[in-house]
Amino acid sequence: MEAAQALGVDISTLCAGKGTCGKCKIRVMGEATTRLERTESEMKHLSEDEVQAGIRLACLTRLGESTVIYVPLRSRVGSQRLQTEGLDVPVEPSPLVRKYRVTMPKPQLQDSRADEDRLLAALTEQYGLPELGVDFDVYRNLPVTLREADWEATAVVWGNRIIALEPGDTSDRCYGLAVDVGTTKIAGFLLDLRSGAVVGVAARMNPQIPFGEDIMSRVTRVMMGGWDAVNELQGAVISGVNEIIEECCEKADVKPEEIYELNFVGNTVMQLLFLGVWPRHVAFAPYTPAGRRGVDVKASTLGLRANPGANAHHLPVIGGFVGADNVAVVLASKMLESDEMVMAIDVGTNTEIDLGNKDLVMADSCASGPAFEGMEIKFGMRATTGSIEKISIDPDTFDVYYRTIGDASPIGICGSGLVDAPAEFLKTGLIMPRGNFVTEMTERTDRLRKGLNGWEFVIAWKKETEIDTDIVITLGDIRELQKAKGAIHTGADLLMQRMGVTDESISKLVVAGAFGNYIDPENARIIGMYPEIPLERIEFAGNLAGTGARMTLMSAEMREYAEEISSKVKYYELAADKDFQKEYINSLYFPHADLTKYPETVELLRRFGQKI
Amino acid sequence: MSESTRERVFKKLTHAVDLGDEELAAEGANEALAEEVPPYDAIIHGLAEGMKLVGDKYERKEYFLPDMLLSADAMYAGLNILTPHIPKDASRSKGKIILGVVEGDVHDIGKNIVKVMLTASGYEVIDLGRDVPTPEFIEKAKSEGAQVIAMSTLMTPTLMSMQDVEQSLDKEGMKGKVRTIIGGGSVSEEWRERIGSDAYGKDATEAVSKIKTLIDTIIATAESMKEEDGSS
Repeated sequence: MEAAQALGVDISTLCAGKGTCGKCKIRVMGEATTRLERTESEMKHLSEDEVQAGIRLACLTRLGESTVIYVPLRSRVGSQRLQTEGLDVPVEPSPLVRKYRVTMPKPQLQDSRADEDRLLAALTEQYGLPELGVDFDVYRNLPVTLREADWEATAVVWGNRIIALEPGDTSDRCYGLAVDVGTTKIAGFLLDLRSGAVVGVAARMNPQIPFGEDIMSRVTRVMMGGWDAVNELQGAVISGVNEIIEECCEKADVKPEEIYELNFVGNTVMQLLFLGVWPRHVAFAPYTPAGRRGVDVKASTLGLRANPGANAHHLPVIGGFVGADNVAVVLASKMLESDEMVMAIDVGTNTEIDLGNKDLVMADSCASGPAFEGMEIKFGMRATTGSIEKISIDPDTFDVYYRTIGDASPIGICGSGLVDAPAEFLKTGLIMPRGNFVTEMTERTDRLRKGLNGWEFVIAWKKETEIDTDIVITLGDIRELQKAKGAIHTGADLLMQRMGVTDESISKLVVAGAFGNYIDPENARIIGMYPEIPLERIEFAGNLAGTGARMTLMSAEMREYAEEISSKVKYYELAADKDFQKEYINSLYFPHADLTKYPETVELLRRFGQKI
Repeated sequence: MSESTRERVFKKLTHAVDLGDEELAAEGANEALAEEVPPYDAIIHGLAEGMKLVGDKYERKEYFLPDMLLSADAMYAGLNILTPHIPKDASRSKGKIILGVVEGDVHDIGKNIVKVMLTASGYEVIDLGRDVPTPEFIEKAKSEGAQVIAMSTLMTPTLMSMQDVEQSLDKEGMKGKVRTIIGGGSVSEEWRERIGSDAYGKDATEAVSKIKTLIDTIIATAESMKEEDGSS
């Protein structure tokens, strides 16, 4: 038990190592099995079969020599699954919107200055503000607002303009919304702009999904439907954001009119569809975006539910397939400030990869597909209750240990389980590096079988599941996972090659994206999703695009910095790389066709007795 | 040359392609020449048979892209040795096909596999590459006298480029004379019907069999027209 703790393997225990709870079962591998004596209390917890199989209680087992220990999944401590909002990177609040409570002398015959002059002069006197512009909508109502407020009002200032004027003192209520507009999911964060505190969070499926699951089919929809379709798609996403606004506001007891600034990130196609720009050209080679720089537009112009004067900002993009969400990732990961090489992988249907340091950051994008989101996989599903999120296979008995979200009976397998499955197959010799099942293994386990649609491996038997059928991983599923992980690896590897960066020189690998938090970093590496970077250098950051969106909502400096990132990060077009096909094909192998790239993994597989 | 020698050489070539073994394929091809097996037969009954096997295994997911490309390399290794020895008049090309990824798309791995399968099956393939402008398909089909235009795309918006090609063929009065087949990740039978393409191949194997049908139809039509001409 102590050895496991020292190695950072958390084995579960309820009795704190007294040998009474029997939760910490481990398997001692190899010849050492017979040489370790069992105590009486330990025997109580072990069946005859388990004793035969070399099962021990970790807390009562003393290791005399170098021994291989197998810790079954059920004995491992699972980290609690949280609805993560992404890493929190604090920034000094310096929002673009500020509120100024101001009092003015009433007009008199001796002081008949214009209302506007009176307001601006008071702001200069009381806050030292330079002469501001006044939004036309504020201007139209100025005489009424000021008189009804009896010359005490709060001016809402965005940049050098007054965007709203409210009677009385409302300076303690100033909110902003940061939104990550994903192809599949929209996540919104309501922030108190004075403190930077997140006061409300809400998420929705993107209402554009009925128009096409992926961005490309949505562009196709537009091409067939013309401007009506652009408006329809824009209307859909705006309505989704409005629902998020309402939910956040309700949770935080804030009125939508108290939101003065909205900040959006999303991929380049989503940016166009959100702003209502004709999107065809970004979908055709050479994939040019409409604009690179950030966009400011009145929230009301887009139909967003917020203060009528509120500003909506869309962060700048980098290229056709590397959007504002990636600008946010680069910003939040601080890689452009780093002396050391940093790599960031934002896993999604399109996976963006950034590599570099303060001197240069390059980015590329690969079509990894939705396999890790559970699509195109026979029993694939999203990470919700009843999905198998963790899989472990006993290398001798081929018993499958799994854990589901909510500890419910399994109904399918989600992304993290889909990373585990091929890794466990590989470790236990059930598949070859090229992805095929080792069909001779049918002699050792009846879980491997030839089903109606070809070879498959049973993860959960019918009697264990909620769906009255065996949950299996098919050979077709493995092919889809190979394509997905192969695309990501190709994107990472070619960037490294072109920049002359080796595994060792990468000081940090940040894995972001919806499922990033829950995947097993070692298993992801065993299947070759990313290069063989030491595990302690791998960080999971969750929705880092959301983090960046919050940072650039809270800070004018960060927003400027986003512009700098957009112009500095060099977009690398994978499709134009002469080695793309070769590297992609090599990356389809588990972990890779060139095993010299994965010495640690090869050693691990050999330890498991695999001839590789 | 005995029947058993022929069979042995064919088997070797088939096996080499199935294994993706370039050296073995070259060895088999040289053996065919040494044993005076007609090179055209060695291609059709040896190499092409191997590619067919590979295609079937790919369909069953037992083989994957890397296996496919290794087999392709082996096939080309054999082909490069055998082709120069085919007598000029006997280079019985089964038909000429214009192949390319349509305008706006650059994903060409699938197209490359189709090319291998078609070449293996004895067709002459003119590969226009990727991101091919619509007029180029039309002009090449004209200048080469091709029977079939085969188009591929992985992405969805670029499906429209396939429609462009169909419409251009129509405008040029080439529809029906030149047959079209479409394929690729985003392509479907529904799309084929919608744009009026002649065939859809869901994978490389199906593409080859459908192209064979297209070309057989063209030949049959031409022959029946000849007969009609004769009778009138």
